[in-house]
Amino acid sequence: MISAIYNFALTTGANRVIRGARIEHVCGDPTLSPEKDYAFGMRIVTTALQTLTMTVPGPTLFDPLAAGKT
Amino acid sequence: MSGSLRVVHYVNQFFGGIGGEEHAHVAVSVKAGAVGPGRLLEKALGDGARIEATLIGGDNYVSERSEEASRAIAAELDRLRPDLLIAGPAFGSGRYGLACALACKVAHDQRIAAITAMHPENPGASSARRGIYIVPTGASTTSMQAALDALVPLARRLGRGEALGLAEVDGYLPQGARRVHDRGRPGYQRALDMLLDKLHGRPYRSEVPYSAPERVPPAPPIADLARARIAMVTTGGLVRKGNPDRQVSANAVRYHRHTVAELESLSPAEWEAYHAGYFNHLVNSNPNYILPLSFLRDLERQGKVGRVHEHIYALPGVSTPVAVSAGHGRSIAQDLKAGGVDGALLVAT
Repeated sequence: MISAIYNFALTTGANRVIRGARIEHVCGDPTLSPEKDYAFGMRIVTTALQTLTMTVPGPTLFDPLAAGKT
Repeated sequence: MSGSLRVVHYVNQFFGGIGGEEHAHVAVSVKAGAVGPGRLLEKALGDGARIEATLIGGDNYVSERSEEASRAIAAELDRLRPDLLIAGPAFGSGRYGLACALACKVAHDQRIAAITAMHPENPGASSARRGIYIVPTGASTTSMQAALDALVPLARRLGRGEALGLAEVDGYLPQGARRVHDRGRPGYQRALDMLLDKLHGRPYRSEVPYSAPERVPPAPPIADLARARIAMVTTGGLVRKGNPDRQVSANAVRYHRHTVAELESLSPAEWEAYHAGYFNHLVNSNPNYILPLSFLRDLERQGKVGRVHEHIYALPGVSTPVAVSAGHGRSIAQDLKAGGVDGALLVAT
């Protein structure tokens, strides 16, 4: 689950939670240039896809910005 | 004795003396008088009550053929017309618990008072407690006497035609019903007392019951994304431009499935958000913010994702009760499974 209010997602039991940008623009950021907006959105989406290949013990948060590489 | 309470007791094949798991397929049958734990129950009920008959149903039969079982139980209750049906106790046994809840429902429909007892986490209690009196018990039969001691006073009152009081006072599981009543002291005083109790480390009890969210075991990981079929779901209120499907903006009673097989990206000319819980204007300029089709298409082209699933699922998640949301979730998940989807991205606003 990709969500900007990731604490809700974690406390309600979603197992793979990816931190989104903002409630109004979860996968990207319109305040950035179109290229950077797209790169940011892509980083969120690829982080989300990567979590699908990982084993998680229960509700776990993944932060696309904290991750070292895309 | 004319004032004597006439009770019918429901038990499964094991407690009914027919046999264990190898006899779980047996249909509903009747024996006169009390059987097995029914004898203990009759003793606990005392002189003013007697068990006229015992209905016995195989656990598998009742759970797999619940309509036939309901009809059989209904026919027997119609014939016997007892003052009260007592089912179980079922303790932690899931199928038995469901059967006990079913028997109580059938009795209820015939305006016959009914009560059962089981462990609070028995599926019979968690799935069917609305409108049924369920006394909480331990998980195993070793708590039989305690279960009967808790069950019997309530059973006697129901048999006499009395209505029970609040669940927390009378000791049965809450049925999920709310009644308007006067607590005597205004809310701000009760809230402040609660706060003081909390600050002093004293026990206190919230008036808003907390129901812990369901825990779902994590799905196993996908071995190879490059071969996986990936779907997208959004609770961000994505609709076709102009909302031709007339989706609501909150409290969604249904979700919509759309086909994106031909699309490279969600264009703001064709899609928008209709959601009462956030400002939709940014999504209306780029709907991929809440359903990342444009990104997934790029990854699909690069071979990093096997296949983008042709259907997307959308609803506004705001103000939708948990039970309704869980139903939407189950239905979407079934559809995704049937469509051969390996993994899904759910974007929640």
